[in-house]
Amino acid sequence: MPKRKLDPLPSAAFQILLALVGEDLHGYGIMRQVAEQTENRMRLGPGTLYSSIRVLLEEGLIEECDPREDARLGEERRRYYRLTSAGRKLARSEAERLADLLRVARAKKILRGRYV
Amino acid sequence: MSEKLYAWLLRLYPSHFRETYGDESLQLFRDRARDEKGFLPRLRLWLDLLLDATISLPREYLHIPSARVVASGPQHLNGIPTFYVLQNASPRPGALFVGGLLSLVTLATCWASLGHYKNPANSQATEFGYAPGESRFAETRPAPPNPPSAASAAPRPFTQPDALNKTERKRVIEGAIANLKAHYIDKDAAQKMADTLLAHEKHGDNDAAMDPATFAALLTQQTREVKPDRHLTLDYSQSPLPQQPLGRSPEVLAHYRQEMKKQNCAFEKVEILPRNIGYLKLNSFPDPDICRIPAMAAMTYVNHADAIIFDLRDNRGGDPAMVQFLAAYLFDHPEYWYNPRENTTERSWTLSPVPGNDLADKPVYVLTSPATFSGAEQFCYDLKMLKRATLIGETKGGGAHAGVWHRIDDHFGIGIPETKAINPYSTGDWAEVGVEPDVKVNPADAYETALKLARNKLKKN
Repeated sequence: MPKRKLDPLPSAAFQILLALVGEDLHGYGIMRQVAEQTENRMRLGPGTLYSSIRVLLEEGLIEECDPREDARLGEERRRYYRLTSAGRKLARSEAERLADLLRVARAKKILRGRYV
Repeated sequence: MSEKLYAWLLRLYPSHFRETYGDESLQLFRDRARDEKGFLPRLRLWLDLLLDATISLPREYLHIPSARVVASGPQHLNGIPTFYVLQNASPRPGALFVGGLLSLVTLATCWASLGHYKNPANSQATEFGYAPGESRFAETRPAPPNPPSAASAAPRPFTQPDALNKTERKRVIEGAIANLKAHYIDKDAAQKMADTLLAHEKHGDNDAAMDPATFAALLTQQTREVKPDRHLTLDYSQSPLPQQPLGRSPEVLAHYRQEMKKQNCAFEKVEILPRNIGYLKLNSFPDPDICRIPAMAAMTYVNHADAIIFDLRDNRGGDPAMVQFLAAYLFDHPEYWYNPRENTTERSWTLSPVPGNDLADKPVYVLTSPATFSGAEQFCYDLKMLKRATLIGETKGGGAHAGVWHRIDDHFGIGIPETKAINPYSTGDWAEVGVEPDVKVNPADAYETALKLARNKLKKN
């Protein structure tokens, strides 16, 4: 079985999948959503963003929607992206994998703070 | 200046990346530059971009170009082995090192040669920009037969669409100016637009336009510096534009008919809500020649409602004839129906009363959002002027005067608003300013607000 491009799932790709869970977004919308959900720790540049988007498209994890305008950003038509069911499934399994890791870390008592 | 710098940086990326995402990358840069003003945010932006280029450039050069063929068409991917990378194992560290070194050398060479950069002979044609059928005029009624414009420049073959030189740019600008002067409704503004376009070209503001689509967008933007007219637009098409307007082609009409069939003629929802309130979610005003029966069926379905809500929050306009057709149901006598695209004729009145129609005296609520545009704004504006509806939501886009498409050459065309009808209600209309709603609420709350208003109104009756 050939190795898939997204195995393991890179952090940027996972963040993009998460960004698209709630709504369809264009490139800049994805960048802002990722920055927001990572508290500004990850600001995807165009190169990283679009090369990740390309791989996600190739893997069928996201798909393109019809170009349209973003009312907030003006009248230029933008390409929007949407999460596919395969993308949602992968995001869920990655989140579960991370949750398992977190459980182990908790058991080993290496975590600090009350929020985890 | 900074956009020009980023455009140069983008040229370091391989052609397959620039073809697919060059335009979007530039757009993303513009968005960030607009939102991140001031010294520190701007510094952070550039650091981000340089770091991003360092990480993504080697990856892009290592990317297998064949995969890009399927990148834009995920629907074709099922079962095709290009899902997978060609190797079972990761590249060896040595290969990564050589790749990285090569990238650095390429980067340095490109930087060194930037000062002498001219149109590369091996550049590929880009896929940016709107296809002719995707222009923002696609929502309007297919254009009437349009004799070849006297102002159109003679069609010339476009040998190298990816690399516009000064002469080609000048030809497109001259073609746009000739059409503007000949057809634009506001002659003073047309002259100012011509001066602005020439001034920008003279100052080298168009030199950063990497490809024809960006150049077309730039010219559109420059005309809007004079007047923010959203129906005035210059578009580029990768495939050669037909000699005759698209609207006349039977293929385009057949495609439109098929699309309308799939979309139920843009009637997304038609239902009777509790308290006998009719609700129609209409996402465009389609051509009545094709959608008359679905439109009649929708109106018949809500015919016995005690109040009616038109949800136009996602409606981008369409055919004025459908706007007028639906408005006929809201009056019991022929009512003058202002259409900014046509001067007054005998067809300027609604065909009211509609036989068997019960809606003429029922309260009407129209939901709007900033996305509501053009023909949908006409519906709102006229009903508001006639005091026939309560508009709920946010101010809309401000598109009133539809454009007629003029071909400049095989790849460039310009849509120009050409008529300005007399408005019986006031000196202006909603062009460029939108229609002010009667009840200003967040569009997301407009539906609930309309229901509440309708229920209260029905309670009083």
